[in-house]
Amino acid sequence: MKRYLETGNFAIAEAAVLAGCRFFAGYPITPATELAEAMSKRLPEVGGYYLQAEDECAAMHMCIGGALGGMKVMTGTSGPGFILYADPYGWALASEIPIVVLNSGRVGPVSGITGAPGQGEFYNVRFPTQGGNYETIVLAPNSAQEAFYLTVEAFYLAERFRMPVTLLADQLVTDGMEDISVPETDAEKAQMGLRFKDREINYGPEFYPAVDKIDIPPVVLGHNTGALCSDWTPTEEGYDTEEVEACHKHVYRLIYKVRNHKDLITRYEAFALDDDPELVVVSFGTPSRVVKSAVKKARETGMKVGALRLISLWPFPDELFWRRATYLSVELNYDGQLVREIQRACPKDSRVHFLGQCGELPGVQELLTVFQSLLDGKTISPINWQREAW
Amino acid sequence: MKERTEILISGFGGQGIVRLGQIIGLAAIKQQYRVTMLKSHGTEQRGGYVRAQVIVSREPIDSPIVEDPDYFCAFSTPAYRRHVDMVSQGVIFYDPSSTEVDEEKVKKITHYSVAARDIAIEKLGQAIYTNSVMLGAMARKMEIFGKEILLAAMLDVVPKFKEENARAFEAGYQLIK
Repeated sequence: MKRYLETGNFAIAEAAVLAGCRFFAGYPITPATELAEAMSKRLPEVGGYYLQAEDECAAMHMCIGGALGGMKVMTGTSGPGFILYADPYGWALASEIPIVVLNSGRVGPVSGITGAPGQGEFYNVRFPTQGGNYETIVLAPNSAQEAFYLTVEAFYLAERFRMPVTLLADQLVTDGMEDISVPETDAEKAQMGLRFKDREINYGPEFYPAVDKIDIPPVVLGHNTGALCSDWTPTEEGYDTEEVEACHKHVYRLIYKVRNHKDLITRYEAFALDDDPELVVVSFGTPSRVVKSAVKKARETGMKVGALRLISLWPFPDELFWRRATYLSVELNYDGQLVREIQRACPKDSRVHFLGQCGELPGVQELLTVFQSLLDGKTISPINWQREAW
Repeated sequence: MKERTEILISGFGGQGIVRLGQIIGLAAIKQQYRVTMLKSHGTEQRGGYVRAQVIVSREPIDSPIVEDPDYFCAFSTPAYRRHVDMVSQGVIFYDPSSTEVDEEKVKKITHYSVAARDIAIEKLGQAIYTNSVMLGAMARKMEIFGKEILLAAMLDVVPKFKEENARAFEAGYQLIK
């Protein structure tokens, strides 16, 4: 392993290259600029291509072109750029084109605050384009090292499910520095649990029906496959159609290729949940690290608290919320987003609370105060940063 | 060594705050510690509020935020005021040319006045070496790091004028006993 003191952006770039990414198109934006910068240096070194796009919409369309040309591709941005992916993201979902996308979370809406972390895109990454009728895959690292690991995983899933995969990493993950180990040998890659999947190009003309056991068509379009790529509903041969039945068949598969195979996607970290604690603290991204510190401290003082960290956000892991407990969602937003999914997924007689703010992480002491208050059966007392309303 | 050591450096953009955090982080890696270094900054390239939070530990680090710094280094009065109440047991370094300290706090918490900017100008002719002088002063008190390792980390990180930076570091180191 080679050790670095580097940013999450650097880790993501190294991981992408390791996973076989050879094309990156992007447009600079804090806090994802360093990813584009790193890719502009790294890709030419390995025979790849870096393209500076005129905006984010063009960047992701360029990635679609790269993917159709047979390459593993990536783009990266922050919230204000991610919304400009709306059009090409839809193309990639509907035409089943593998692309890895970084959304580095800062504080919104719009330009908001650049150099501070936010988690306001929890739903935005679930519904990144118009029209509905699809599922998305979203992974949320909480450290630079995990960003490395999940980037490799994102490329695997993008190829496996033939669709775009989003990495949602807050500004502290992408912009913060940390000690990072980068594997150099195959043994080290295996030790890290990395999995890889090569691009499979089928030169037959059929778009679908699927032959794969997880219901995914065999071909990635383009690259002389003879199959068409279009934003219309495709027939089984890949021709455009306006038939409702064909549309249903197509989008049903877009949804269920993901829903039926969540076991290949879902990842989480359970901490101190074995003894069915009264309070379960749910979080993702960097806040989860403070939550873990706080739960460790809480346990030392005898509080029955556990932590559940979501590593994959979408498809949402409803099955993890079976406990009849008090739930607390800790998020970097003021409006409460993850908390809504928790309430939908958990047993109906559970109490669900929300603690959120932007730009700064909650402190361990603040969390301990909130834990105690909830364990005492109270609502969260109005200290300066909590927002119980959602 | 404590379970975790928290270091907070704050000031204005352009003072080398993030650089200092980066140097300390690299020194931690050289000593086989685990480390996180978060930087917060405004949109401005220079002049805005900047903060670097470094956590050093032998174990994997959960919370990456500084809540009770063992070492707090202030490069501006606003930065000092914003964070001074967090310090309970730790020590504070500050540059009196840019930072006005609270006399009540000085009675309770160890403050090291490091005239880093003045020394940088006097000995090296340029204020740009201010943060290297400060790092030298901090090196004297940050027991978890060897002096030579901090110096080596600094020389790895600064792109040029390495000799001048090393002299600045030494001048800072000699300033505090």
